[in-house]
Amino acid sequence: MLYARLILMRLLKAVVVLFMIVIFNFFLIQMAPGDPAAILAGEAGATDQEFLRQLRERFGLDQPLYVQLWRYVSGIAMLDFGYSYRQQMPVLDLILARLPATLLLTGTAFVLSLALGILAGSMAAARVKKPSGSIIMALALIFYATPLFWVALMAVVLFSVYLDWLPAYGMYTVGAGLDGFALVLDVAKHLVLPATTLALFFMAIYTRMTRASMLEASQQDYVKTARAKGLSPRVIQRRHILRNALLPIITLAGLQAGQMVGGAILTETVFAWPGIGRLMYEALMQRDYNLLLGIFFFSAALVIVFNIITDLVYRLADPRIKEGS
Amino acid sequence: MSFFARFAQNRGALIGLIILMTIILMALFAPFLYPDSPWRMVQRPFLAPMEVDGFLLGTDTMGRDVAAGIMHGAWVSLLIGLVSTAVALIIGVPLGAIAGYYGGLIDDGLMRFTEFFQTIPNFALAIVLVAIMQPSVTSIVLAIAIVSWPPVARLVRAEFMSLRHREYVEAARLVGQTNRTIILRQILPNTLSPIIVLASLMVATAILLESALSFLGLGDPNVMSWGYMIGAARTVIRQAWWLSFFPGLAILLTVLALNLVGEGLDDALNPKLSRER
Amino acid sequence: MMMKTPLASAIAALALTSTFAIAEEPRSGGTINTIIQPEPPGLVLGMVQNAPTRVVAGNIYEGLLRYSTDLEPMPQLAESWDVSDDGLTWTFHLREGVLWHDGEPFTSADVVFSADVFHRELNPSARAVLQHVESIEATDDHTVVFTLSAPFGPFLLSFEAGTFTMVPKHLYEGTEFRDNEHNNHPIGTGAFKFENWDRGTVIQLVRNDDYYEDDLPYLDGINWHIIPDGASRAVAYENGTVDVLPNGTVENFDIPRLAAMDNTCITDEGHEYFSPFAMLWMNNREGPTADKRFRQAVMYAMDRDFAHSVLWNELGQVPLSAFGSNARFQHDGLEPYDHNPERARELLDEMGYDGEEVRLLPLPYGETWTRWAEAVQQNLREVGVNVRTQSTDVGGWNQRLSEWDYDMAFTFLYQYGDPALGITRSYLSDNIERGSPWNNVGGYENERVDELFNEAATAFPDEEREALYHEAQEILHEDVPVGWLMELGFPTIYRCDVKNLVTSGVGVNDGFKDAWLDR
Repeated sequence: MLYARLILMRLLKAVVVLFMIVIFNFFLIQMAPGDPAAILAGEAGATDQEFLRQLRERFGLDQPLYVQLWRYVSGIAMLDFGYSYRQQMPVLDLILARLPATLLLTGTAFVLSLALGILAGSMAAARVKKPSGSIIMALALIFYATPLFWVALMAVVLFSVYLDWLPAYGMYTVGAGLDGFALVLDVAKHLVLPATTLALFFMAIYTRMTRASMLEASQQDYVKTARAKGLSPRVIQRRHILRNALLPIITLAGLQAGQMVGGAILTETVFAWPGIGRLMYEALMQRDYNLLLGIFFFSAALVIVFNIITDLVYRLADPRIKEGS
Repeated sequence: MSFFARFAQNRGALIGLIILMTIILMALFAPFLYPDSPWRMVQRPFLAPMEVDGFLLGTDTMGRDVAAGIMHGAWVSLLIGLVSTAVALIIGVPLGAIAGYYGGLIDDGLMRFTEFFQTIPNFALAIVLVAIMQPSVTSIVLAIAIVSWPPVARLVRAEFMSLRHREYVEAARLVGQTNRTIILRQILPNTLSPIIVLASLMVATAILLESALSFLGLGDPNVMSWGYMIGAARTVIRQAWWLSFFPGLAILLTVLALNLVGEGLDDALNPKLSRER
Repeated sequence: MMMKTPLASAIAALALTSTFAIAEEPRSGGTINTIIQPEPPGLVLGMVQNAPTRVVAGNIYEGLLRYSTDLEPMPQLAESWDVSDDGLTWTFHLREGVLWHDGEPFTSADVVFSADVFHRELNPSARAVLQHVESIEATDDHTVVFTLSAPFGPFLLSFEAGTFTMVPKHLYEGTEFRDNEHNNHPIGTGAFKFENWDRGTVIQLVRNDDYYEDDLPYLDGINWHIIPDGASRAVAYENGTVDVLPNGTVENFDIPRLAAMDNTCITDEGHEYFSPFAMLWMNNREGPTADKRFRQAVMYAMDRDFAHSVLWNELGQVPLSAFGSNARFQHDGLEPYDHNPERARELLDEMGYDGEEVRLLPLPYGETWTRWAEAVQQNLREVGVNVRTQSTDVGGWNQRLSEWDYDMAFTFLYQYGDPALGITRSYLSDNIERGSPWNNVGGYENERVDELFNEAATAFPDEEREALYHEAQEILHEDVPVGWLMELGFPTIYRCDVKNLVTSGVGVNDGFKDAWLDR
């Protein structure tokens, strides 16, 4: 019951934040130089004033700003995100068509980075004074300091061009007419490079964080007690230290999950992954306002959803937080 | 133990400091070692490193000296990293301090404001901001600052909340010091060490952010930065790996050095928490 | 010291060998994989006419005529045509037995609807031609008569599919054109039918089995891959995913490497109709650029041969003056503006240039253009011009040019074969109008040039036009209203076993109908 109320409260707050984000972004985008109609006209290859007038009228750009805002906000209230100027399709359709690709990419990268990061971090924590531990930490630091797009480019050159092991771009082999398991395998192959490069950076963060919080946890009294009781180091490591060290990682993971949509912009561009990160960048460059606002709305919504999930997971994982407190 | 002795105990931090000093020296001496503009087309394009004397790192797509670019770029990358961090601190520290010190409704309001900025994906917001303000050093610095202040505010707030009921603060209050004096004179000096550590990491992140923006073509076209060099070289990465390799390495080393120094500072400034060493 | 690119000579050699290829017997079958960059905003030609739309939709839709690489008209939907002696009445005889992709017959009613209703409402570039047209009539199901109000020299050059698309009357008449449901599933008469558009990934066309020319097309279909990153596009060719790279799909820096691959051919034919011409707008209204001597100094300061060889692989050519070499009536007796920094400095001294800041706006169309702006910026700085580059995206570029808020700006424009269609629009004073980056943005005004250009557009026959255009070119050459940067050479790179790919002056825009695979 308390969970239900908590979620309800969080959802209410989320709606308010989303509403603010819509308005903030609406005005932010209005400040961008260049009028969408002029860009569309330029894209159409030729312009005259008549053409511009037709476009503005069609998209309601000839209306005063407050009318445009009102139309937009009231549209969103009905889950109508408007019409993409450039792609001539409803924004919602465009986003929903691209969202699964982004979720697949970022989800894979997320799980990968979390799993490997925690593994590497706890290994490093168990080998504090040994060279192997130092090597793990040095690698983590290097991954952390390397520009993501640079790794992506290098990976394409190495694995796609020279070794020809993995496809360099796209999400599936076009025109192959695959289905069933063959299709899954094909997508999986395409997923390897982008997901790995995207995961590297976050993996480095989790590794460092896991190690730090495990070392901190190992100084705590309950661990000393467990040691005194004569439990094996391995059991202590896993049951007592790791479990408590996970808490800050959960917080970070929640933040990270929300931010992955933004981080995916670079990855999706380099690997031609048809997700919404890339769609966002294109929409911005084309001043496709409705589409851009729609993507902002969805990515903010994702952040909020992940925040709520994080809170819940945190409550489950932390023995100290009792219901009602 | 003195501050520096504690810092020097961390070998990584010392190495980081040496790398960082080298890069700073590079930035300072660039105008003397390479007095020509790094934009100047001085040799055949696509010279490999050391293929021709005097061109240690080769030339780029248009015959510009890569070494000159790296030297001059050090200045730009450091400047953007430092200034944007400073701006982020100017926004984040006061907000966090006020929220943490006063608590209650003020805290609630300010934290909602902070969360609001954290709800919009960072990199996406930075791209939009630079595109709107049009790429220039100023707009890039502002955009990076705007997306990176929320963690500062949260950190400072947390520190203030834990410090505001300390005895010496209560004492200051009893003596009748104003809130302003207490914030500035009593609490803030005690929060400096975590802020300094965070700031050193933020400079590193800012350099990475700038390079990512430049990679997407949103860099300032009038200054030669490392990010710009990688962005400009990415289309030719196949035939001229060195064009993106060296600036990439420069970024990696700088970011690495800043992180190492940050850790060292953490050890030196927070000896209680200093972990395994 | 310049890198020598053997590419241009390689292309010349290929042009010789290609004549032998025609003798082979074409084979049917196979699907071509190629690239479209950027993803087009839509596929209905006439509604959208940007380059990527033309490239894809030129294979779905057709116009009345095609044009050879010498810009001679060739039959397409019109089998033949004739003109009255006064140059006012043009009669087109349409091909019979042509079907739309949905099975309905194509008739003269479609032509009248497309020209008189659809394009008049939607299509600015067709409107520019249609203003010379008084009436369009169908005299029977397969004959259409255009009556002009005055002779219009380039009239016969205006019927290419991208400019004057034939759209199906039975699907569009009486509807709101832009909301028509068929916009997402275009119906044309071309050799290929629209099959599928997976946004962000691929556009697929399939063979039109009912195409009116026997045996054509030879291919079963075309897949246009959408890959936003330039480096990935090059990789797609290298690892064999795609067979054809239409002009502009890979960065110029990749071209020498790709061209050197096995089984790779390269041609710079197929852009004659557009003849893209790169220019540097200079604001004739205010600031240093308002001074003729400054603009001449810019021409002398720029090392255009450097750009030609380093940035453009020696494809295309450095232009002499305002008229490109593919344009009709080019005056080739003018003194070229060579790279001469000394002369540039003298001119700047003479005008008393005081180091006032001059803003340079690059064209946001990718790496080559950015590098080019950097080179020009450096050239100008070396003669003492205080340049500041303002980087921007397409939106910012559009706005700055439309509002005349710039000093110097890169652009490129199509020449469309005839000066009256593609060239004079940049210099005519009545084409100065705020709000568009495609008119006389520089703000050049010269009464004599206006007179000459207006007279030349409607003069008849050609000898008369030539004299007028030559005089105008002499004036422009002296005034330098804009900087003439480069006649761009856009190469198409393809596997040599793709035969007959470029058969017209618009290249792959309508080229796949004749292409076949020798595999």
